[in-house]
Amino acid sequence: MTPENLDTIAGWVSFVLTLLIFSYLLGDNILYRLAVNVLVGVAAGYVAIVAVESVLVPWLDDTLLAAQGDRSDATMVAVRVMGMVPFLFGSLLLFKSSRRLAPVGNLGLAVLIGVGTAVAIVGAASGTVIPLVKAAGESMGDDALEGAVMVVGVITTLIYFQYWTVEHQGRVMRAVGVLGTIGRGFVTVTLGALYAGAILTSVAVFSDVVREQLQFILDKVGG
Amino acid sequence: MRRHRLLDILSTVTVISLGLVTVIGLLSDRDSTAGEMAGFLIQLVALISALAVLVGIVNLLAVHTGRIRHTEYGWPYSLIVLLAAVAVVVLRIIDRAEGWSGDLEGETVSLRVFEAVQVSLESALMGLLVFFLVYAAYRLMRRDVTVWNVLFLAAIVVVLVGWIPLENMDALGDVRDWLVRVPVSAGARGILIGVGLGTVTVGVRVLLGQDRSYRG
Repeated sequence: MTPENLDTIAGWVSFVLTLLIFSYLLGDNILYRLAVNVLVGVAAGYVAIVAVESVLVPWLDDTLLAAQGDRSDATMVAVRVMGMVPFLFGSLLLFKSSRRLAPVGNLGLAVLIGVGTAVAIVGAASGTVIPLVKAAGESMGDDALEGAVMVVGVITTLIYFQYWTVEHQGRVMRAVGVLGTIGRGFVTVTLGALYAGAILTSVAVFSDVVREQLQFILDKVGG
Repeated sequence: MRRHRLLDILSTVTVISLGLVTVIGLLSDRDSTAGEMAGFLIQLVALISALAVLVGIVNLLAVHTGRIRHTEYGWPYSLIVLLAAVAVVVLRIIDRAEGWSGDLEGETVSLRVFEAVQVSLESALMGLLVFFLVYAAYRLMRRDVTVWNVLFLAAIVVVLVGWIPLENMDALGDVRDWLVRVPVSAGARGILIGVGLGTVTVGVRVLLGQDRSYRG
């Protein structure tokens, strides 16, 4: 078999799978489910490959399977012990499958949650909240009216979410309710625009998929 | 329940201590001891996550193997899942071992299969989405006409129509540009800041030991 033959087979496989997916437009059917299950299997296989090749193998090469070189025996022992730590915690996750021993598995999970939470806090504060608040404040300088709309939009959007978490009683809360309603308008327009963006993206992908498959068939029919 | 109390406390202590060490490390200089410690912990988490993914995949394959063995409803689909996963892994192993001969020598067949199967299926599913998005917007108006529904659909129509390059209709494009630049940008920033504040709040609750749902 030549690489050209392989490309032709790949083209036909791609064409058939695309048709199977589009068959869903006629309703849920066996062909669509077949294609989706192929996707699940292939995705599982690829995720496993990426996890092993990109994460686990480099770590093993650097620690447990590392060559000694000019390092001392004590250093090598430390490197190999350190290399085993993630596998120790990872193996604890296997206990989660047992109801009786699940708390042992929680220890592995605790490492993930502890470090993950810390990364999320620092990431959200320094990567999202601070730059966005800063950008909202700076927008006042460009155009006074647009800047004012921007600041009002940001504040009322935040109030809208807060508004739903508290009971709205009393004059102050009624005023907060009005601001929350303005915020709801901003959120609605934003979600509408994002929805339109999703439609435009999927139209672009759909036309690209149809063009690609039609081109393949025309090439095959035309020789 | 009482038997696991020590393990529960150990889990909480692990979450709080590792979380605090990582926060301090991330806020410190990268070359400092705390910074290097945070770097190591993040690498550790990446490795444990990879192992967790592998455990999940093994579990997925075990579930499907069980369905085939007991010939449960839909077992042929499980067979397809298993065959597809095994085929991808076997092709990758052959690629790595440079096991192809003849004209295919040196080829990475697994990458071609990835493009033919995974990319095609995901693109087709994404393309299929357009029908459901348009239909859902249509159903929204059929269901109930409220101010918010009308505002939502008006925003959709303005963005979609403003995208069409109509002659002598620059004003529509300008309206669309202004909508996206000012109110949509403000709303998106508000939502993102809200998500960020929510993340920080939940994170601090976990690090203070107020939220211990992971012990469940």
